[in-house]
Amino acid sequence: MKSHSLIPTLIGLAALLGAAAIPASADDHDKVSGKSAWMMNFDLDWEKASGLPEKAMLISLQGLTNRAAPQLYIVHPPDFQWEITGPLYEFYQRKHHVDFTEILTADAALAQFAQHAKGYVVWDLEVGPSLNVAFTIAGLDDAVVVSEALIPLVEKHGLKQIDDLRGRYNGQTDAAIYQDAYNRYWHRCIHDAVMLMGGHRGRVMMPGMADWGVQRKMFFHDLSANPEHTEELALLKRIFAELAPGSTIFGWHPYGKDTEEQHTTLLSSYGHKMEGLHNLPNLSFNSQFTFTPGFKFTNNHNVARDAKLVAEEKVYITFIQSDSIGIGVWTKPGRGKLPFGWQVTMNWTKYSPAALEYFHESSTPNDYFIGGLSGPGYMYPNHIPADRFPVLMAEARELMAVLDERVMEIMDNSAADGNVGNTDLTKETVDRYYEAFPDVIGFINGYGPARTRDLRDTRPMLSYDYYIDPKRPRDEVAADLNELIALNSTRPYFLPVHVRESNDVNSLVEITEQLEGPVEIVPLDVFLKLAASNKTYTTRYQDPDDPKHFKGF
Amino acid sequence: MKSMKLTPQKRVFFGGLIALLFATLSFATPDIDGRWRLDIELSTALDGWHSADLVIAQSGTKISIDHHMKWRTTLFDATNVYDTAAPVVMSDFFRIEQRHMAVYPAKNGHTHATATWIDQGRTLRLEIDTTVEVSQGDVEMRIYQEYRVSELGDTLTLIELHSSRNRPLVYVFKKVTEEAK
Repeated sequence: MKSHSLIPTLIGLAALLGAAAIPASADDHDKVSGKSAWMMNFDLDWEKASGLPEKAMLISLQGLTNRAAPQLYIVHPPDFQWEITGPLYEFYQRKHHVDFTEILTADAALAQFAQHAKGYVVWDLEVGPSLNVAFTIAGLDDAVVVSEALIPLVEKHGLKQIDDLRGRYNGQTDAAIYQDAYNRYWHRCIHDAVMLMGGHRGRVMMPGMADWGVQRKMFFHDLSANPEHTEELALLKRIFAELAPGSTIFGWHPYGKDTEEQHTTLLSSYGHKMEGLHNLPNLSFNSQFTFTPGFKFTNNHNVARDAKLVAEEKVYITFIQSDSIGIGVWTKPGRGKLPFGWQVTMNWTKYSPAALEYFHESSTPNDYFIGGLSGPGYMYPNHIPADRFPVLMAEARELMAVLDERVMEIMDNSAADGNVGNTDLTKETVDRYYEAFPDVIGFINGYGPARTRDLRDTRPMLSYDYYIDPKRPRDEVAADLNELIALNSTRPYFLPVHVRESNDVNSLVEITEQLEGPVEIVPLDVFLKLAASNKTYTTRYQDPDDPKHFKGF
Repeated sequence: MKSMKLTPQKRVFFGGLIALLFATLSFATPDIDGRWRLDIELSTALDGWHSADLVIAQSGTKISIDHHMKWRTTLFDATNVYDTAAPVVMSDFFRIEQRHMAVYPAKNGHTHATATWIDQGRTLRLEIDTTVEVSQGDVEMRIYQEYRVSELGDTLTLIELHSSRNRPLVYVFKKVTEEAK
């Protein structure tokens, strides 16, 4: 994969709204635009032994500070996983007229913002999960999170100790630590969201999203959904069961403890949705901005919704990046040279409208936006309870309408092995999507290749026939695509290609120049209209006999 | 110089010698037996697998090729058995495939394979007709493979051609010694 599949989102919560709302009006834009704010530059050092403690302290401070107003924004280096913090920083200045002042040191940050904290909580560098417990306490008790070495600094700014986790969890399992935290803090936390502060563990940790959890008083954890970790799994299930219906699990699964597939399967089975990643920064800031006055998100449609096209005897190829905008191909060279579909995580309309506007502003006519992944958040639809599916997809339809999107992208890796293997949808799931989305022009399924296909009225559902790994030599990718073209010899042949986010469009251009046959690269909406006109693909769903890597809980 | 007359006895003798020579050459050298490990750096890029070991064993005219594949923490084993004496039909044929392509073994498909030793027993040639599933349904793929053992017996090169692919796949394996296992 994916060493780790990346499903990033930029998430913000519109200032006035809860989990299911549409963004605030342009009037609210005036509340935050044209204001002063502060920014800091982070480097790439997230090691526990060096850069992490100060960053954790600053991120917790950011969450507290931004409760009152969006005041502190962090810019990460261009080679950080989230490449857009810099461009978005520029966007806030230009379109929202935010006047930023740079803060250079942690000392200066505390001088400016310590007033928003009532004290500090000390985490234990020897016990990684204690950082998550500390973040929980930070949100509940308005504390900044510090390591022992930072105590003098925060006390210099008048902060007093609220709690001290050093030694509390020595020798305990993660299950025991989080059970203790659950017993102490769960009842005080919000119950429509939790912070799955997983991702990197051990020597390096990246709690970039912690400001958001602190701001909103979430319960922080990195419990495992691996069936082998029975105690952690039991507590995780309890938390999921006690969350409100349709809750959001922010963050990401813990690397090395469980898999993305296990965790997403489990939360989906409770009807919840995932919004990643654990290191996505600045949500406490981004969530308080809306679209600028007069802005309406409009897509680059290439065909009318009710257009009828007729496919010729060709090979039609369409490229899609499904890891969402925000990292990867969008900022790499060549965008605009080829028609390209971009999966936009639906909740951006609720959590980070400014970022959506930024992407819209920088789009080319060749950039086409689609909804996903699977619904109003990342989830595996084969496992969504039947009674939750309609409600969730109603939320998705609403968001797609705001975003002017006409295609839904679906992904269910619950039976897959990373980005290979079984990524198909059951017939029941396919039936539900067709019923829930009468107005889309079609569906795309998969991450790696899959073989779920259907055509009902004018709405095709097609799966990726190919996944481009960024490490694969371009001439081999071309040879692979040519092989698919040769094997699928009936014309027209419809070949949807998933482009992993770390590719770049220039290298795709290089590939297309090596393709053989009557090949035409088309935008996704045109592709789906053509596929509706001539069904040369089979109808197929997940077959019970198909091998499954993860067989569930 | 006197010319050598071939008496009937001598004809029988030399004929038997030649027959014995051909019979010897029709069996492979034992070099191909053993465990072979894919050398990723020397091979065509392989998607969907991190490592591959082949364990090859001969028993009479039968040759079994055990594939030991690894992807992340997943271990997968599959065996194909060929016979140089006669073509075989397999219902569970395994091929090392690029798993980022939507090309799958066809359900209920059968694979016909013919095995031959060539190049004085240094190369195992396999000609395989298999059915694969693609988005347009089940189609036939013709595969031509040569497993070539190097002169020193430490390298096994698999050259694979598909009827659907102009660019050959070349996988280079190194012999796994007892110490390296």
